[in-house]
Amino acid sequence: MTSPIKQSHIHFAITVSNNSMSLQYDKETIVLPSQWKNKSPILFAAGLALLVTGAVFALFTQGADKSDGVAAFKFVTHSYLANFMYVMTIALGALFFILVQFVARAGWSTSIRRIAELIMSTIPFLAVLFLPIIVLLYANSDALYEWNVRENVHSSVIKAKIDVGYLTKNYFTLRAALYFGLWALMGAWFYSQSRKQDESGDIEHSLLRQKWSGPCIMIFALSASFAAFDWVMSIDADWFSTIFGVYLFAAGMMAFFATMILINAGLQKAGKLQNLVSVEHFHDMGKFMFGFIMFWSYIAFSQLLLYWYGNIPEETYWFAVRLKDGWQYLSYGLIPLHFAIPFLGTMSRHVRRNRPGLVFWAIWVLVVHWLDMTFLIMPNAGPLSLIPLAGHLLGGLGMLFIFFAFFLVRATNVPLVPMRDPRLPESLTYANPIL
Amino acid sequence: MATIASSYNPREIDNTNDIPGRRAPLITGNQTYTSVTEMVCRVAEDPQPRIWWILFGFSSLTAVMFLSLIAFLIYKGVGIWGNMSPVFWAWPIVNFVFWVGIGHAGTLISAILFLFRQNWRTSINRAAEAMTIFAVICAGIYPGIHVGRAWLAFWLLPYPSLNLWMWPQFRSPLLWDVFAVGTYASTSLVFWYMGMIPDLATYRDRSKSPFRRMVYSLLCLGWTGSSRHWLVYEKAYTILAALAAPLVLSVHTVVSFDFAVSQLPGWHTTIFPPYFVAGAIFSGFAMVVTLLVPMRKIYKLENLITLRHLDNMNKIILATGSLVGLAYGTEFFMAWYSQNQYESFTFINRAFGPYWWAYWIMVTCNVISPQLFWFKWMRTNVVAMWVVSIFVNIGMWFERFVITVTSLSRDFLPASWGYYNPTMYDGLMFFGSFGVFMTLYLLFCKFLPTIAISEVKGVMAASEHAAHVEAELLGEAHGHGHHGAGH
Amino acid sequence: MSEHKPRKTSEPKPPRSTGWVAEFSNEHALLEAARKVRDSGYTKTDAFTPFPVHGIDEALGIKPTILPFIVLCAGTTGLLTALLMQWWMNGVDYKYIISGKPFGITPASIPVSFELTILFSAFTSVLGMLALNGLPRLSNPIFTNPRFDRATDDRFFLYVDAGDRYYNRESVKELLSSAHPESLDEVMEDPSPTTLPRPIWLGSLLLVLAGLIPAMIVLNMRAGFSDLPRWHVFFDMDFQPKKKPQQTTTIFADGRTMRPQVEGTIARGQLTEQDPFYLGWDPSKVTLAEVRNPILVSTQDPAAQDPAPAQDPAPAADSPKSEVVVETKPADAATEQKPADPVAVPPAQTAAAPAAGAVPNLPWIDRLPIAADEEHMKLGRTKYEIYCSTCHGYSGFGDGLVAQRAASLLQDTWTPPSSLHLDRVQKQPVGQIFHTISKGQGKMASYASSLTPKERWAIVLYVKALQRSRNATIEDVPVEDRSKLSEAK
Repeated sequence: MTSPIKQSHIHFAITVSNNSMSLQYDKETIVLPSQWKNKSPILFAAGLALLVTGAVFALFTQGADKSDGVAAFKFVTHSYLANFMYVMTIALGALFFILVQFVARAGWSTSIRRIAELIMSTIPFLAVLFLPIIVLLYANSDALYEWNVRENVHSSVIKAKIDVGYLTKNYFTLRAALYFGLWALMGAWFYSQSRKQDESGDIEHSLLRQKWSGPCIMIFALSASFAAFDWVMSIDADWFSTIFGVYLFAAGMMAFFATMILINAGLQKAGKLQNLVSVEHFHDMGKFMFGFIMFWSYIAFSQLLLYWYGNIPEETYWFAVRLKDGWQYLSYGLIPLHFAIPFLGTMSRHVRRNRPGLVFWAIWVLVVHWLDMTFLIMPNAGPLSLIPLAGHLLGGLGMLFIFFAFFLVRATNVPLVPMRDPRLPESLTYANPIL
Repeated sequence: MATIASSYNPREIDNTNDIPGRRAPLITGNQTYTSVTEMVCRVAEDPQPRIWWILFGFSSLTAVMFLSLIAFLIYKGVGIWGNMSPVFWAWPIVNFVFWVGIGHAGTLISAILFLFRQNWRTSINRAAEAMTIFAVICAGIYPGIHVGRAWLAFWLLPYPSLNLWMWPQFRSPLLWDVFAVGTYASTSLVFWYMGMIPDLATYRDRSKSPFRRMVYSLLCLGWTGSSRHWLVYEKAYTILAALAAPLVLSVHTVVSFDFAVSQLPGWHTTIFPPYFVAGAIFSGFAMVVTLLVPMRKIYKLENLITLRHLDNMNKIILATGSLVGLAYGTEFFMAWYSQNQYESFTFINRAFGPYWWAYWIMVTCNVISPQLFWFKWMRTNVVAMWVVSIFVNIGMWFERFVITVTSLSRDFLPASWGYYNPTMYDGLMFFGSFGVFMTLYLLFCKFLPTIAISEVKGVMAASEHAAHVEAELLGEAHGHGHHGAGH
Repeated sequence: MSEHKPRKTSEPKPPRSTGWVAEFSNEHALLEAARKVRDSGYTKTDAFTPFPVHGIDEALGIKPTILPFIVLCAGTTGLLTALLMQWWMNGVDYKYIISGKPFGITPASIPVSFELTILFSAFTSVLGMLALNGLPRLSNPIFTNPRFDRATDDRFFLYVDAGDRYYNRESVKELLSSAHPESLDEVMEDPSPTTLPRPIWLGSLLLVLAGLIPAMIVLNMRAGFSDLPRWHVFFDMDFQPKKKPQQTTTIFADGRTMRPQVEGTIARGQLTEQDPFYLGWDPSKVTLAEVRNPILVSTQDPAAQDPAPAQDPAPAADSPKSEVVVETKPADAATEQKPADPVAVPPAQTAAAPAAGAVPNLPWIDRLPIAADEEHMKLGRTKYEIYCSTCHGYSGFGDGLVAQRAASLLQDTWTPPSSLHLDRVQKQPVGQIFHTISKGQGKMASYASSLTPKERWAIVLYVKALQRSRNATIEDVPVEDRSKLSEAK
């Protein structure tokens, strides 16, 4: 093992006074690459085009298949929700990551924290992407949420939830507004504190965030869990699982770390963040990705085992739907694709310290995360048919483009590393022990 | 004989705050390698204080009572307990889950905090691991004696039997428990022992009497501190940590499966695995605080087990306590959301039925009392935290009681509903299990290294090293001096 | 012992040097010296430190260990062992149905597989660490140096072994002393004897032998034979203070352990054998001669309570069958007009049944035990439509969907369900219809498990209403509603 000072050749001059720190550095290394700048409108347009193309494609192919407009529309709405949740879970992962860094007073992550903050800052934009779903509800469509039109509901269980006012469009919208409001507020405040520190270098901003991160995590846990119940679980409003929120959280965290690896590697490839983000950071992000692959498997297995073993029809039918009509290939496929292969692939220290290897597995994880969201949501729209699924895939790509466009909007003219964070020196010098 | 290390400082030094960018020291009082050795070895080398003998006398008597009661139980049968239709799983299973839960903190501290590079674990991991082993021993006793014919408990193992011509039932969660708890107990034991090898060598090298030296020589397997050995040792330790981390999660997950794979309302819910794990960590840390607060005082270890360690543990207690509260809430919500009348009844019955008192003790102790740890003065006041930790221990026992007894006493068949009453033997045996636990723990304090000496020194060196590197980075001139041929 | 010693070491060889060890007060000095030694080309070197010093592997040129690979292999072995074990034990060798779960590898096999993977890996990493390090090694030349006791406290030692290719006693000494160690010593071989002292190995041997004794006893008990009676450890478990049926006792005057029912009491569940509400007929109106129902007998006739007649070989021959069929057969005979089973039905009834035609041969009750009100009518209709209408049809003509389907298949094994409007059915008392629902008839199965007695009576009420509706006149319609009827036309 070489001494950490050798691994990161640092060419910065930092001066420390009593409670602030200043640092001379090459400003070019912590801004977006020039070729990335101004790309967000193009990306956004391309994403939107892909989303629309995918939807239209699915609408026509699914319709032609079934000669049934209702089924086709159902497919498209489910596809939109799946793709929306695909990026939403990543953004929520970023929010949780930021909160937990402060609650744990972490030092290692300081130089990669800004990227996570920028991902987290896309939440208000994502709220806009949620609007079509609200519009759908107010258009009195039950294509996505069957509980929205009470007359068409046969199940007494769902009727009871509607009658109490829980699963109604007004209350649903109110809750969604509350979740987004809380997340956006927490995100905005943590981001603004970080930006203020960029200006002043005052440690007070770190202390404040440390102080409030604890309560914020509590709020996050509650809201993210209920958002998962509302948005994803209630598309099948008969079914219920207490672990569902944890499931989406685990999936989102895993995908978040994959996103972080890709963005950091991309920026470094474009010549940025040199020496600021080291192989140690990639190693740690790789470990976290590995850890959450396992955690996802643990949660998914727990849910499956308890319902499989209990064998109560009102619980098992959710799996039954996912184990027929073509979906069984996806469901069984998740076991190797989402667990066994990436688990073995990212187990070794050598892979985690090898950037191309890690990038490969990060892409893999983002793909399987999309498959996972498809597995959760799409079987509710009907049997699997491959051709319209291509439209769903286009939509997923489009959503990813839009998400990245949002990220670029937030990242433009912003330093990509919190250069005056007092914990930065620790982040630049730490080394992984021999794991 | 050395009495008090020269560097011992009995004043409570608040090292819980660190200015961002400047880590506060983990151990206080300007310790050196020698003073750390001195401070820890003193615990075993000095004659034990009077309080140790009083506690040992009391707890060993209690342990003897426990063992006698087990003998009586085996002779007379489980009828001496209060287990009766429909509550066949009563105190024995409650006590089992209670002790297994407590047994989670040690390996969690050694493994998961190790993987997260939480260096503060080094001062407390040894004591917590020891506590884990002893708690798992107490836990393991209960299912063993609950099987009725305890002398045939080995039938649980898959061994080729010429008498039975049959194999255990691998689709039963109770058998998963045998494997999970067995693996956990043995892995924790070797993890604990392996961690102790270098410190046992320290004990050996400080021994005055040849007999003592011989015993510790045998125990430390001839450890020399060779760098080649250290390298393999650290690798093995890291691998064990990486294995033990999911193992810890799996054990209480499997314990939760015992309940959750059934169809009984209040048991059959998917949040059980993570919720049980959170509860286990919660109770485990509470027990560590309960044990360490007096221990650091008695053995004058305040400089090694500092307020920072206690503060961090209290934060974990707060976090896991709130998680447990969130799980209670989610269960209640889902009981309504599922529109399942049995599920709804069970939860209303828990809170307002005949066992309402147990439910509200549980909520008060588990959810409300740790909320006091939002206040920093609570987290750094040793008396206050000790009281809260005891409340948490009580609350977590009641959680298992509530889960087990309320669901069983009101099952699907109203004709068989009943009210469970423990007998004298239930109470005495639960009390007696604390005797076994405390006896083992006190013997551990007397004979084995209570703090991981080599790990504390390693962290001291690492923080010194980090300070050098950082100072170099910050361009401070004096940082270079000791570094020599650093690069 | 003391006399032996000089003889054994009569020619004391001077202890051989195994290398040089230098002592340093901190890890930085050690690292510096280690690099110097490495750069001079020495490879058989080692450092002894109280904690793992970071960078020492690079400073000494120590290669990474293969332990992770060994552990990976062990973990895979554990996983495969667990899967094979569960598949073979529960899927092949000892199949055992448990709550309908499949055999072999299922989600339920995962927990044990996981645990065994961890178990194998964990023990391999610890034992592998010991093996790779050559531990336990209780005797080591380095221990001969008394200063070495501080290697586990606060001192750092650097050691160059004499077996090194480039080892030269003087130059190594010079090299090490140039690093300014706290002390520099030559390491000497340990002169103490390498064999275990006799008391220790003798004691250990005795201990092992003593440890075998219980195992030998168990083995002897398992494999051997004995004339002695079994040894009862748990006497009260082997001989429990309880009485079984048909045993004798001294507690009661009649010497029987089974107690007759106290007069004037009804046991739980007994009502179903006594009350017309549960039977459809009145058992108090039958005599033993008419129905040989043992249960009925025991409750009716005190004389029959004597168990002695049950041991009479002649009735015992046919009693099992009659117990089962007696209640249905008379009804069968009565309604279907088939010759009844001569064994099952008492001769008196067999003779009576064909002659009597639809006349019941049990004292059927002819009044509904429930009120004929709207609530019961609704209940009866609901239950009729659920359970009866599939065969008998909604109007009771025996034209339910099942009957239609069966008829269209033209299966000759099919017995069509009766129309409820046949004359013989119309004439049946309510008790008999109730009895038919409860016990089944012909191809019709019993519905007692699906319908409570009250629901069955409600169905009887509804059937009666259906029958009546076939022969209704305008007089049956209430006067005030007659106008509505004509309006409907």
